[in-house]
Amino acid sequence: MTLPSLHNIVHWLIGAAILFGCERLGSLASTILVLPVPGAVVGMLLLLFGLMIYGGVPRGLAQVSGQLLFLLPLLFLPAAVGVFFLRNLTLSDWLALLAAIVVGTVISLVLCALLLRKLLEKSGEVGRDE
Amino acid sequence: MNEFLHSPLFALPLSLSAFWAGVCIYRRSGTVLFHPIVTASLLVTALLYTLDIPYGDYQQASALLYALLGPAVVALAVPLKQNLTVLRRAGWPLLVTITVGAFLAPTVAVLIALLFGAGESVLLALSGKSITTPIALTIAEKIHSAVSLTAGIVILTGVVGALATPPLLKRLSIRDERILGVVLGINAHAVGTARALEISALCGACAAFAMGLCGALTALVLPLIVGG
Repeated sequence: MTLPSLHNIVHWLIGAAILFGCERLGSLASTILVLPVPGAVVGMLLLLFGLMIYGGVPRGLAQVSGQLLFLLPLLFLPAAVGVFFLRNLTLSDWLALLAAIVVGTVISLVLCALLLRKLLEKSGEVGRDE
Repeated sequence: MNEFLHSPLFALPLSLSAFWAGVCIYRRSGTVLFHPIVTASLLVTALLYTLDIPYGDYQQASALLYALLGPAVVALAVPLKQNLTVLRRAGWPLLVTITVGAFLAPTVAVLIALLFGAGESVLLALSGKSITTPIALTIAEKIHSAVSLTAGIVILTGVVGALATPPLLKRLSIRDERILGVVLGINAHAVGTARALEISALCGACAAFAMGLCGALTALVLPLIVGG
């Protein structure tokens, strides 16, 4: 492992600062304007528009985001563990849940696939040259 | 000793090592059935039960991880921006499908659950089913739905979607990798995107784009519907 240079560390810090800054800004906007949208999502949209205007993704931000997204499962691990400690659900609730998840997901994914194929064919964009 | 077991000093390393073990198992197994979140949460649960630690204590001790969830949601903007070129090439069919899918996935699930006579808490938690977990959790807080239940539903949906999509689309004789990617992104969020990246870069880009847009759309609309 090579030690990261000071230059890289500064880039990472700037990237992290952008993420935290957007989150704070989004939360602030969400509370002040009484938006129904979660603050973090407002922050995400702010960052997206910012990046579109900037016309690229700063290197440090790309690296920090990549790391954070890789660690995502770790971040919601405590919430996921909670499923095994749920006590206030009845058996019929569990059955309904399972059916909704398995059957619902299959139905919705097939419909999405058929819809997109149809639309791509219509727009003449389907890859016939494959 | 007892105090130590209930402090972040124990909870954080526990989460970290379970996650690390989960990543190792996932890389070896090569199937999304063993996605790190599945194995890691089972590991942590088993440990909490054996050591007799109440879930509430573990949850409180993990506040630092929760605090990073917000910035992680913001970070989703980066893959969304990087994959905007996908949109330029496939244009409006993509946008229409993602929008329809964002409504379709939770609606179908809620309808089926209603058919089975599920309670309100289940219906609320199902409404965020197919969007990426960090966004689903922030929405769950906003619409006062059970956070843990939401997390479980989202993860299970991701695993089911990621497992079922490739064989189902093969049956429908759909070979376009863009369709496969978008369907994975809409219906199986991050787990599906991980699967899509294994198929090809184009497939992964479509999935990441669909996942991000689908999550943002749901976050914008769902609180309005449920709150109203």
